[in-house]
Amino acid sequence: MKYPTAFDVIVIGGGHAGVEAALASARVGASTLLLTQAIETIGQMSCNPAIGGIGKSHLVREIDALGGTMAIAADQAGIHFRTLNNSKGPAVRATRAQADRVLYRNAIRQVVERQPNLTIYQDMMVDLTLKSDRIVSVSTRLGMEIEGGAVVLTTGTFLGGRIFVGSEQHTGGRAGDPASLELSEKLRTLPLAAGRLKTGTPPRIDGSSVDFTKLEEQPGDEPRPVMSFLSSSDVHPRQISCHITHTNPQTHEVIRRGLDRSPMFSGDIEGVGPRYCPSIEDKIVRFAERDQHQIFVEPEGLQTTELYPNGISTSLSFDIQYEAVRTIRGFENAHITRPGYAIEYDFFDPRGLMPSLETKSIENLFFAGQINGTTGYEEAAAQGLVAGLNAARKVAGQTAWVPQRHEAYIGVLIDDLTTMGANEPYRMFTSRAEYRLRLRQDNADLRLTPVGRELGLVTEDRFKTFVARRDRLDKCNSVLAGTTVYLNSDLANKLSKETGEAISRDVSLLDFAKRPGVRAEHLTASGVFTDKDEAYLVQALIDVKYQGYLRRQDQAIERSKEQMGIKLPIDMEFEGIDGLSNELREKLEKVRPSTLGKAASIPGMTPAALSLLSVHAKRHSGLRKTA
Amino acid sequence: MSETICAIATPPGRGGIGIVRISGPACRNVAQTLLGNVPPPRSATHSDFCTTEGEILDSGIALYFPSPASYTGEDVLELQGHGSPVALDRIVGYLLEQDVRLANPGEFTERAFRNDKLDLAQAEAVADLIASGSAEAARAATRSLSGEFSRRVRELDQGVLMLRIFIESAIDFAEEEIDFLGDQEQQKQLAEMQALVESLIERSSAGLTMQLGLDVAIAGDPNVGKSSLLNQLLGEDRAIVTATAGTTRDTLHGELSIDGLPVRLTDTAGLRESDDPIEVMGMERAEAALEQADCVLWVVDDEDVNAAVPEAYQTKALTVSNKCDLTGREPGAVNDKVFRTCALTGAGLDELREGLKGVAGFRSGIDAFAGRPRHIASLKRTHNALVTAANELSALQGELVAENLRVAHECLGEIVGVTTSDDLLGEIFATFCIGK
Ligand SMILES: Cc1cc2nc3c(=O)[nH]c(=O)nc-3n(C[C@H](O)[C@H](O)[C@H](O)COP(=O)(O)OP(=O)(O)OC[C@H]3O[C@@H](n4cnc5c(N)ncnc54)[C@H](O)[C@@H]3O)c2cc1C
Ligand SMILES: Nc1nc2c(ncn2[C@@H]2O[C@H](COP(=O)(O)OP(=O)(O)OP(=O)(O)O)[C@@H](O)[C@H]2O)c(=O)[nH]1
Ligand SMILES: [Mg+2]
Repeated sequence: MKYPTAFDVIVIGGGHAGVEAALASARVGASTLLLTQAIETIGQMSCNPAIGGIGKSHLVREIDALGGTMAIAADQAGIHFRTLNNSKGPAVRATRAQADRVLYRNAIRQVVERQPNLTIYQDMMVDLTLKSDRIVSVSTRLGMEIEGGAVVLTTGTFLGGRIFVGSEQHTGGRAGDPASLELSEKLRTLPLAAGRLKTGTPPRIDGSSVDFTKLEEQPGDEPRPVMSFLSSSDVHPRQISCHITHTNPQTHEVIRRGLDRSPMFSGDIEGVGPRYCPSIEDKIVRFAERDQHQIFVEPEGLQTTELYPNGISTSLSFDIQYEAVRTIRGFENAHITRPGYAIEYDFFDPRGLMPSLETKSIENLFFAGQINGTTGYEEAAAQGLVAGLNAARKVAGQTAWVPQRHEAYIGVLIDDLTTMGANEPYRMFTSRAEYRLRLRQDNADLRLTPVGRELGLVTEDRFKTFVARRDRLDKCNSVLAGTTVYLNSDLANKLSKETGEAISRDVSLLDFAKRPGVRAEHLTASGVFTDKDEAYLVQALIDVKYQGYLRRQDQAIERSKEQMGIKLPIDMEFEGIDGLSNELREKLEKVRPSTLGKAASIPGMTPAALSLLSVHAKRHSGLRKTA
Repeated sequence: MSETICAIATPPGRGGIGIVRISGPACRNVAQTLLGNVPPPRSATHSDFCTTEGEILDSGIALYFPSPASYTGEDVLELQGHGSPVALDRIVGYLLEQDVRLANPGEFTERAFRNDKLDLAQAEAVADLIASGSAEAARAATRSLSGEFSRRVRELDQGVLMLRIFIESAIDFAEEEIDFLGDQEQQKQLAEMQALVESLIERSSAGLTMQLGLDVAIAGDPNVGKSSLLNQLLGEDRAIVTATAGTTRDTLHGELSIDGLPVRLTDTAGLRESDDPIEVMGMERAEAALEQADCVLWVVDDEDVNAAVPEAYQTKALTVSNKCDLTGREPGAVNDKVFRTCALTGAGLDELREGLKGVAGFRSGIDAFAGRPRHIASLKRTHNALVTAANELSALQGELVAENLRVAHECLGEIVGVTTSDDLLGEIFATFCIGK
């Protein structure tokens, strides 16, 4: 049966990627359908009840700056906030929120339901129809055929999903949800490179069976940070603490005994798991010398006693899980409400995607989220936003928009995925960003909101708030640049006294502010700025103090832009290029970089080899013109 | 806007002139600082090449070709100096401090090509040229792959990687109970790496001089034994030797190799007051040769107690106190700048040869690497980044320490190949138990 209406864009899946994709597509004016298995699970957090963290909150802020919804929902659902890396510098400073699962889902669902241009429909996609190499419709389990201009697949861990607890296994998309099996089979008939990855989750514990007096309490930070540029901490619900405990040699002993029935060690699971998110059994085997591992005991929500013991993800048999948990301090009488499990699922090599996240082999089919080999809500949401936007733009006949590596972590994410692929589930880290010093949480809006506005992602209200903030910041900067501190003036005396920095000649306030001892509160205390300016000044001073570094990076960006610009022909023959080492030639054959910039990111690449490629690229295009 | 690049455009080694070519948007700024003005387009202008501090690096002809009517299609500045490798190096070294970087092999031509200054046939030739350049580089690389140089650079690369593993995991895994910032151990490692880079720079600079060789002029009063010294060093009767003062009129050349170090010797006319027009011309030539030389052997009579090296050549002169057979004093090195010799027998010349090697940067115990200017430039930038990293570490600026180490790693990567952030993360996961 044909579905009564056709859509510009159909988004499959209501996870974090699907939600941002559907919202972005609808916001820029495309008639959009969000087709998902279960409306109740829209915005569901499959694993840990937390948003943000180092590198991840950078993504959340960028999504927010581009009009996305994750940050606002995290503020509305956050029951425990922390600022991470406070002492290590403003660029790597990050925010993490424990989120109440139910509040989070509700916050997301509300936004999705109220979004104009967006229709929600509950069913499961099982098939798709192509016309030549272009997708034209999707079909559902209930026999509905829905036509769409473009389709964004965000099926997460559901494709061919298989759940493991010890030697027990069954199909499933995550605990409690069915796997997507027909769709998995269908996709495997298409010219897309499929692979298997795995991830896992810890057992959940009933808090009323835990002795909290034996745990170390970890309260949230005050002042409490917020995720969204639009939020204030007033929107946060009641705040509660997390707790910390540790495994011990006895725990490790129990786990070792259960290894023979672990699906990871028995070979039942072939998929590759994330090295940075190892199961407890992995940690014990690989780091045998450690006699304890830290566990963060996180609340699942305000209305439930269930706890998420972060640090003991496992797929060991239930009896071992049960025994091991009870060796842990504070958990001596713990009751497991849901066992931990591992899940193995299909993903598609993201090198098969264009940077717009459209597949190279099937026109108008876009992929976002875990299906591209990533892990994490934030990584999924970031891709969702880009894919949803570009699906809508494609249908409207517009060119794709993708941020570059120096503009956003989103740019780093997409570039890494589409050039390097994913050998293991890909997670964001700040060390992946070579322009880390400029990709800060505090300036995500300055970097992205103006372009978000142009693209149609940013509403008028958000833009107004942004402009007001930017104006205040500009004013601080112009006062800094325009004020001279005269030798022996009142101002000079005040500033020296506040900062302990000697002033031995007339100096502009801007130059003075570059000195290491000068902080924002000194400038407000000296009367040049008011207390209200302080938050803006803090930010202005980061740029002032980092000026030298930022300028050097500007040059590096220019250099890479120049390289980025040079396109390498798809049919380039690396075989015919003298002077390339065999090793590089093989790597080039494999990656087939579309630009010189992408070639530059191949490990082992040298400047001379890049020169060669650029000359050959141009020679190639020249030959074709004359041919 | 693209970067500005520079390179020595004349072949390594000698030549009457040496050209440094600069291409890119910074040319006008460079001209302004180095020449004091931007010369009129396409006309040869004589000028000093001067640092902002007023130090004269060289002097010669400057030519300015504004874009697009230039070889590369960009603004191009050509500086034609005296051609001594040392002077050229100083000019390039200064340029590298001014937002100009060293050109890659064939990069000028590549730019010309990109700006449609070459036709297809020429382009084919360029590709081959770069290919041969990099094939040669590849050969050189394999040669040194087993060698000391690359072993040392790799060692350094590994050292930077180890430090980055600590710093980056302290940043990216702040909750994992690993925090190494402020640890004395890291200051120590940084200091060790700095020392390692310094010795690498020294050794590869020495290696560079070893390839390019040394220009040595023999000068002094008449009749002190200059020509005898030339003949003795060359081991042949190149110059006429007589007991008459003023025998040598024109400059005379000869080449020799001291343990592989190419040395080009120039014998000159003795310097004194004279009315003889031929002798005066000879002395003018002598002075020009002295200007150009990397090193001057200033010959004096061992009996002459008042002999002294003229002010102008003091920094690059070795004093040779000749005819010591007549004073009866012991031949050999008096110190590392003064040698006592007998040019008739050759006594004291072994020590003098050692002295010349020292000038070229081979001190005993140092073995030079076949350093290339590009390697040295990368190592110098590595060194700067390590120094800044150490400062930021004292100030506990975690992310700035990390940034400088990243830059250092990138610079070393230009020599031994890049380490990607993914490689780095892999090392982190292999080193620490990370993850929840
Ligand atoms: C057991 C487990 C452990 C995890 N551990 C971690 C961890 O430790 N750290 C971490 O960062 N991340 C972890 N994750 C991953 C994190 O949950 C995902 O990265 C994130 O949710 C991916 O978002 P997504 O939008 O791509 O997919 P999902 O959130 O999985 O959403 C997929 C959506 O698609 C829908 N869907 C699927 N198939 C169809 C279909 N055929 N038709 C219609 N709708 C469909 C589903 O109903 C669901 O709404 C874990 C996930 C699981 C399941
Ligand atoms: N006893 C002695 N005589 C020397 C020595 N070196 C040179 N002579 C003699 O000194 C005289 C001058 O030597 P030259 O080598 O021609 O001196 P010069 O410095 O080249 O002289 P001009 O070319 O005239 O400037 C010759 O007779 C040499 O034989 C020495 O070490 N000992
Ligand atoms: Mg003579």
